[in-house]
Amino acid sequence: MNNDRFYVNISGIKGDKRIPSRVLEEMIQNAVEQGHRAIEVNAYGQHGIGGRLWRSGNEKIKIRIQGHSGQRTGSLGFPNTEIEIMGPASDDIGWLNAGAEIIVHGNASNGAMNGGAQGKVYIGGNIGARGMTMTKHNPRFDPPELWVLGAAGDYFGEFMAGGIAVVCGFNTSYNESVLGYRPLVGMVGGKVFCRGDATGFSQSDAKIVPITDVDWDWLCTNLMNFLQKIEKKELFDRLSKRSEWTLIRAKTPQEKLIGKGILAMHSFRQDVWDRELGKGGLIGDLMEVERGTIPLITKGEWRRMVPVWEHAKYKAPCQANCPTGIPVQERWHLIRKGLADEATSMGLKYTPFPATVCGYLCPSPCMASCTKNLQYITPVNVRLLGRAGEKAELPVSAEKSGKRVAVIGAGPGGISAAWHLTLKGHDAVLFDESKQIGGKISSVIPDSRIPKETLQNELERVKKIIPDIRLEHKITPKSFQKIKKEFDYVVVAAGARKPRMLPIPGVEFAVSANDFLEKAKQNPAKLKDELQKIKESLVKSKEDQTKSNEVQSAPFKKVVIIGAGNVGCDVATEAHRIGAETITLIDVQKPAAFGKEKEDAQAVGATFHWPCFTKEITSQGVILDDGEVIEADTVVISIGDVPDTDFLGKDISTRNGFVSVNEFNQTSDPTIFAIGDIVGPGLLTHAIGSGKRTAEAIDSIISGREPEMLDARSEIDKSRISLEYFNPMVKSYNTLEECGSECASCGRCRDCSICVHVCPEGAIERFESEDGAFEYKADPEKCIGCGFCKGACPCGIWNIVTNSPL
Amino acid sequence: MSSNRTIKPSSLSLSDLPWQICWKKDRCTLCGQCTAVCPVQAISLSVFRKRNIADSMNPSNLLKLANSSSKTDSSLQTDTLSHNERPLSSFETYYGIRQKTTIEEACIGCAMCSMVCPNDAIEPRRSHGIDRYRFHINQDGEPRKRGGRRNSTDSLLDRIKFIRISMLTDPALDAGRHEFELRTLLGRILSPKENINRLRNNGWIPPVREIYPLIIGGMSFGALSPTMWEGLQMGVAYLNEELGMPVRMSTGEGGCPPRLLRSRFMKYVILQIASGYFGWDEIIHAIPYMKEDPCAIEIKYGQGAKPGDGGLLMWHKVNKLIAAIRGVPQGVSLPSPPTHQTQYSIEESVAKMIISMSMAWGFRVPVYPKISASSTSLAVLNNLTRNDYASALAIDGEDGGTGAAYSVSMDHMGHPIASCIRDNYLNLVKLGKQNEIPIFAGGGIGKNGNLAANAAALIMLGASGVQIGKYVMQAAAGCIGTETDRCNVCNTGICPKGITSQDPRLYRRLDPEDVAQRIVDLFVSFDIELKKIVAPLGRSTSLPIGMSDALGIDDYQVAQRLNIKYVV
Repeated sequence: MNNDRFYVNISGIKGDKRIPSRVLEEMIQNAVEQGHRAIEVNAYGQHGIGGRLWRSGNEKIKIRIQGHSGQRTGSLGFPNTEIEIMGPASDDIGWLNAGAEIIVHGNASNGAMNGGAQGKVYIGGNIGARGMTMTKHNPRFDPPELWVLGAAGDYFGEFMAGGIAVVCGFNTSYNESVLGYRPLVGMVGGKVFCRGDATGFSQSDAKIVPITDVDWDWLCTNLMNFLQKIEKKELFDRLSKRSEWTLIRAKTPQEKLIGKGILAMHSFRQDVWDRELGKGGLIGDLMEVERGTIPLITKGEWRRMVPVWEHAKYKAPCQANCPTGIPVQERWHLIRKGLADEATSMGLKYTPFPATVCGYLCPSPCMASCTKNLQYITPVNVRLLGRAGEKAELPVSAEKSGKRVAVIGAGPGGISAAWHLTLKGHDAVLFDESKQIGGKISSVIPDSRIPKETLQNELERVKKIIPDIRLEHKITPKSFQKIKKEFDYVVVAAGARKPRMLPIPGVEFAVSANDFLEKAKQNPAKLKDELQKIKESLVKSKEDQTKSNEVQSAPFKKVVIIGAGNVGCDVATEAHRIGAETITLIDVQKPAAFGKEKEDAQAVGATFHWPCFTKEITSQGVILDDGEVIEADTVVISIGDVPDTDFLGKDISTRNGFVSVNEFNQTSDPTIFAIGDIVGPGLLTHAIGSGKRTAEAIDSIISGREPEMLDARSEIDKSRISLEYFNPMVKSYNTLEECGSECASCGRCRDCSICVHVCPEGAIERFESEDGAFEYKADPEKCIGCGFCKGACPCGIWNIVTNSPL
Repeated sequence: MSSNRTIKPSSLSLSDLPWQICWKKDRCTLCGQCTAVCPVQAISLSVFRKRNIADSMNPSNLLKLANSSSKTDSSLQTDTLSHNERPLSSFETYYGIRQKTTIEEACIGCAMCSMVCPNDAIEPRRSHGIDRYRFHINQDGEPRKRGGRRNSTDSLLDRIKFIRISMLTDPALDAGRHEFELRTLLGRILSPKENINRLRNNGWIPPVREIYPLIIGGMSFGALSPTMWEGLQMGVAYLNEELGMPVRMSTGEGGCPPRLLRSRFMKYVILQIASGYFGWDEIIHAIPYMKEDPCAIEIKYGQGAKPGDGGLLMWHKVNKLIAAIRGVPQGVSLPSPPTHQTQYSIEESVAKMIISMSMAWGFRVPVYPKISASSTSLAVLNNLTRNDYASALAIDGEDGGTGAAYSVSMDHMGHPIASCIRDNYLNLVKLGKQNEIPIFAGGGIGKNGNLAANAAALIMLGASGVQIGKYVMQAAAGCIGTETDRCNVCNTGICPKGITSQDPRLYRRLDPEDVAQRIVDLFVSFDIELKKIVAPLGRSTSLPIGMSDALGIDDYQVAQRLNIKYVV
């Protein structure tokens, strides 16, 4: 019974009834169990015939199938099994084959060897779709093999993961690929030999490789074997022409990564895009197109932002806020360079009164506006610098122009005008009705505010510069016209000497602040006498005998000052000096007094009251609107002064009693200029500044130029200054050197070279010219436009601006 | 910072800003790259003051003091210090990166500083909670404008699921293995009866294009930089000619470079005409020389970013190149009014514009309007259905748009795209014309990165294809904008990636080749993803337009509104 030459026959039909697949399977398994090793099955389309025959162990089993083999013949086949189908096969022949050898003497339909892992399937005809799909190769066994005499149907070898397929392409009915439509999609392993056209397979999954001699030997040997199995040995010669065969294998994962076999974009641009559009591509006709990209950090013209060294482009706040326009920062720079003499003599180019005004009398808008105030750091002390100017070297005047300018009024404004005109080479003549020059500085400002000697020294210096000073020269309308004729230009600096008084009853018993101050300064005893007389007359006028005793017993004890500005404070200080006991300043609004004057007044015990509206001045004192009485022996009115412009005549236009001028202090008569309080109330430094600007304007006109603002630069943005470099705890400065080094030098390069060291690219260099002038420059080829120079600059010199468009 | 300073209502502190620069002193090398690259100069080098206090309890401090200060008495004792003296306090300075707090220099969060920092020492961080900055970006009474981005991560499209997974019910398909017909039709398709009738009588058959359903929406030459624009066109050409994907791109309203007009690539281009009519005389001049007809003409009536509002290209952006392409003199501002001036009704618009544009190319080119999604969209569609010359309707939803727009328009104007597309499609179904006039959807597709899913959802709701803009900018050019108000300065010309700038110092950062390659990547990967969605649905023979039985959402109201399944 063990002889395989004797086939036991199992029929798939019993009578006229087809045996179900389940029963036929049972019958075949039973036969194997009983020891049959050769079984012929007359099949009627039963499913899975010949598979799973493990019961014979290692012994070989032959199954011969006659009739219609059903789907999945030999599925889950074992290595011991040999199946021979004498006709065509249905779907999924050798499905999930684990070792069976299956011979089909005809065509096989779809899914031949689908999922096969071992074993061999020989097809003596064509196969349908999806043959050799999902096959694998388990390294423990030989790979599965599918041999097809004819051609494969569509989607051959999908997801093939191992095994060898040989498609002989014999007598194929199509002109197209012997592997059908879209073969080898998703192939990851194994190889396919095919004879004939194999185009159309998935190029991304598989590739054609040369057939080696080893491959060819294997193919020839096994081809002969295959042909024997399907009983077509005679075809060997026809099929064994090496040149007709192609070997395709799966790409390795690495091969799949490289080169997807499509055109690189760079080549596309060059060979397709630019060829169609022309050189430069899309917009090559409209502009020059450079290829390639630029980095995020760029240099040279590709920088978005560029640094600029804006040295002295702006005024420092001190200079911008100085009515005289003194470049304080430049003077501190000279101090830092050890050029103290140059620093002090520079002052004289701006003001004849550096010590008197900058050093003592000026409320110092420069310091009030100092950048350092932003962090509550004490501004450097300009007064020290001012006072040093007392001994400054005399400036040298320019060559004589021969032009003559009369300056009427030898106050600070007039002196300033005459001073600058003289320095510019013009003959300036100073006229004043008083006995001395200096105007209010000499006559009105209390000695407590400034040492007499300092003032005297500076006035002497003025006299040295201005040779022709005509004092006690009262100007009348007539003499003014004469002067006008005699001189090329006239500068009117007559000041405001007429006190403003209040239109109230009893005003005749009050004294004006100027009167008070002038007399207190020159002859206090005489002043007191006069005040006593006024008091007495007041009492008499009211026939107030009861008070007379009091008046006599308390002369000049209580002083009330109406108008609590800085002049009022000066009155208070002077009143105290000459013996007043209670001093009261009243005002209709919050007192405008500030600075040294206010402090001095408070120091002598003066009190401030507001708002107080004066109704009347009586023997009792000052009566307010609300009936309150502020007792007073003496009442001083300090609500400002108005100028006397009568002598100018009607040709010079005025407004509200002040002379109208343009920005160059020119009046409606182009040869006549007006400065100082006659133009409007202001500080000493305002008068000095207008004196200077007027002198410059006249100088311009004399030399045939349009007058212009000599320094129209704007004030620097304070946020550009790095105050962090300064110690915020320094509260006072003792020497010029200390001030120099602590000055923030806003907008004025202090030549510290911090930028050179901070620049990350080493792009900044300092250049010095022969005259000692220096400049910092950023080399565009090194600079990246980071703005570090700007961020680190102590003085706000560096700026970072948008680069000019390309 | 100044201690002695006053504040104004718009004086902001660092914590008021939407983005804070986190700078690590210990890692910084002070190389200057961050301040050099910052597009808005939000950061700068600054000098910092540091105060050191040595306490007088420690004798060694006194010794140090004695050695260093002017007080040279080495036997200095605590007792010898006056109570008002502070000699133990000293100052030093250091340099660091400081963030500015001015409105115009506020950090935009672009993180270019992080990109260039060699030491990872700097990065912007989003502030927690609501910033105070937003209340002040209307200085001088000028409301905020920004690049097109709604700054909302909400996306209804993201929530739609594809619930119909065919495994054994329909042909089971494999996205990687099977072939899919993913092309769509742009053009008027006549009913079969009418088509046969016209064929028989030699009548006019409307032009129809077979195109890829993912269209690059209108972004003008001018709004985009030359490198970006060329990169997009190059990528599109590559997709067509090398990969056989019929991808199309709309020019936006800014004309079209003369060379492109005269090239075979013209067939990949949808020319847009809008209310400013920029560049159209150049297009007309090119007609006799055109090798190919354009794909289609898009008449822009509205866009998602600023529905009902026009645009303005500022004069300083109108450089020589832009001027040449738009056919205008250099350095003048270019307004696109909200409406086309001579059209006062839908009927008139349809009659005038569509027929005029059709005539330009001998009725061989499809012409369709693009409108912003609106509750009135149906009225437009109904008009189009009655006109054979109308090829399609493009609708841009509230999330759409890339151009400059007022924030108020961007944030609060407009209609969501999903229900608008659905209403329009169902209306066509009611008319029996759903296969005759295609609807294209735009606005927020892929806003959170889910490009294929959003596109597929809209297609299944009834769109024949979708238009994308922002996604292209992000995926193809590395736009760093986010829906959390990052960057968003496209309108100001300072785009740090060079996408929306006309400054060569910025746009030369972008290589057209790289953009083109990313366009290819984007479309190829979209194609795979779209297949991954349609394959399980069992659809391979045509795009599943209106296949809403495949859609579900976990919100009952939305499901009802969109007429899709409610799934939980």
